[in-house]
Amino acid sequence: MTDVQETLPGSTLGRRGSWSYFAGRGLEYALVLAVALTLNFALPRALPGGPMKLFGNPEALARLTAEERAQIASEYGFGQPLWQQFLDYLQGVFTLDLGTSLADGRPVTEAIATALPWTLLLVGTSIVITALLGVSLGVLGGLRRREGKGAGLLAGAIALDSIPQFWLGMLLIVFFGVKLQVLPTFGVSDAGVVTIGGVAEHLILPVVTLTVTGIGYLFMYTRSSLLAVLTSQPVEHAHARGVPRGRLVRRHVLRPALLPVHTILMLDIGFLAAGSIVVETVFAYPGLGRLTFDAIAARDYPLMQGTFLVLTVMVVLMNALADLTYPLLDPRARTGGSR
Amino acid sequence: MSTLAVATRHRLLGTQGLVGAGLLAAIVAIAVYGVFLPDSAGRARVAAPYAEPQSGLPLGSDDLGRNLLEQLIVGAGISLSLAFIVAALTTLIAAIVGGLAGIGPRGLSAPLMRGADVMLVLPELILFILAAAFLGQSFWTRVAIMAVILWPVPSRLLRSAVLTSWSRGHLEVARAMGAPLWWVLGRHASYIIGPLLVPVFVRTAMRAIIYDATLSFLGLGDPTTPSWGTTLYWVQVNGVFLSDAWLWWAVPPGAAITLTVLALALIGTSVEDRLNPALKDFS
Repeated sequence: MTDVQETLPGSTLGRRGSWSYFAGRGLEYALVLAVALTLNFALPRALPGGPMKLFGNPEALARLTAEERAQIASEYGFGQPLWQQFLDYLQGVFTLDLGTSLADGRPVTEAIATALPWTLLLVGTSIVITALLGVSLGVLGGLRRREGKGAGLLAGAIALDSIPQFWLGMLLIVFFGVKLQVLPTFGVSDAGVVTIGGVAEHLILPVVTLTVTGIGYLFMYTRSSLLAVLTSQPVEHAHARGVPRGRLVRRHVLRPALLPVHTILMLDIGFLAAGSIVVETVFAYPGLGRLTFDAIAARDYPLMQGTFLVLTVMVVLMNALADLTYPLLDPRARTGGSR
Repeated sequence: MSTLAVATRHRLLGTQGLVGAGLLAAIVAIAVYGVFLPDSAGRARVAAPYAEPQSGLPLGSDDLGRNLLEQLIVGAGISLSLAFIVAALTTLIAAIVGGLAGIGPRGLSAPLMRGADVMLVLPELILFILAAAFLGQSFWTRVAIMAVILWPVPSRLLRSAVLTSWSRGHLEVARAMGAPLWWVLGRHASYIIGPLLVPVFVRTAMRAIIYDATLSFLGLGDPTTPSWGTTLYWVQVNGVFLSDAWLWWAVPPGAAITLTVLALALIGTSVEDRLNPALKDFS
């Protein structure tokens, strides 16, 4: 865990002026985004198992005449040369026209717009709870490393980190849904009636699953970040000067120790949307993760590209946000490293 | 002298690490036992569907009347061998990439690290699902997919380790005196970087087990081979948790995954703690 900081993208600060620094970062993100866009276009096309497989079983496909195949292909633009498809794709991305889903004919933008809020609600709620609990317990575990409580917390965090999400979800369904029958176990609302209370009730078990399985990592990360700062020279010097422990922790330890935690938290938000596929499957939650999974399973290229695009953009966006907010927290970064 | 005694004497693993090692040894023993079971174990129909636990069938049977205990045991072998092969392969890739990016020619290090950066932006789970859905589920395909997707994180870690070790005083002196690269690497750098390969190996094995189980749970596993994730996939598909069968059908494979990952995590964190002597005397 001790080397995690060095493996983190996005927290490196160049020794340049802040404007050229931000311009450089911006260029870097544009590049990553361009690569992601290209990969996003190329990936589904490079993989074996074409979209034609979708149209019924192989026998039905074999019965199609050559003209019928050509017609289907041209309807969806598969017959055009690759560069033409790519240009169309780029134009679609920038006009938010992502084509129509092959599976049910819905516009991809609409499908994503329906699913995204549910995932944001799920991921947002759980990340807030995970962050509050994980970081405060991590600080406690770091400060009391030698005492029984700290060691117990660490063992607990390692254990929680080992539980597979889908298994925990199942156990929660068994206990709270089937045995006690106190909480709903699937979907987002009862029989299509969307009420705030109903949505909140449906949110409890998925959020608990994400929180319990996510908290261990954040705890260990916070703890090791804190330990690294505790042994640093400024802190040892302050300690030698006789700064009282409470003040030492507040002023000299917490602020620098929580900086990398902030970065990793932001990155987590970006990745959690993709990671929620499992939880959304267990609880039949109609979010973006489930949509992505269904799109891959059905070889639904337009929908696949649309969801990948949203997921990748979210990661890049959170990366950029982590970079932009970093100077607000760390005065050393405000000058861009030049004094 | 036994390996255990050596480990204790050199304080490579603390109590925590020894607990993990013991746990892992037990799981490996079960997996090895599974290798000697006949090929039909966990695959053939041996009882009535949905049989409850009884003598000769300690964990009952699934919806096709297959022995659930045998599925659990055979699954251990598959999970562990996949995890260890992937971990070995990924650690090797990471060592080569990290080394080249750290001390190799500049023209090579920049593209390698930018490649890792781009990989890190793409959500891992999505890449796994894509690859599993399109490339198939045979054992060696899964191994290759995992190694290809898991290399960036350990590569970055090992690169920074190589860079740190390269700037250590005695290595600089050795290089200044004209020691050839192979000598510096073998005689000096290996002692700094070598121990780091243990946590890298262990963490990769953990991630391989979790991802493999997750993919199988999502129905993207190999349906012809019993595995922990596949058993849990059938639990989900059949809605097993609505009856009492969850106790012997859903709990054991999940507990097996948790315990295996936990054993590896205990070993990994304790080795990492030992590698950071600065923390040892701090209270």
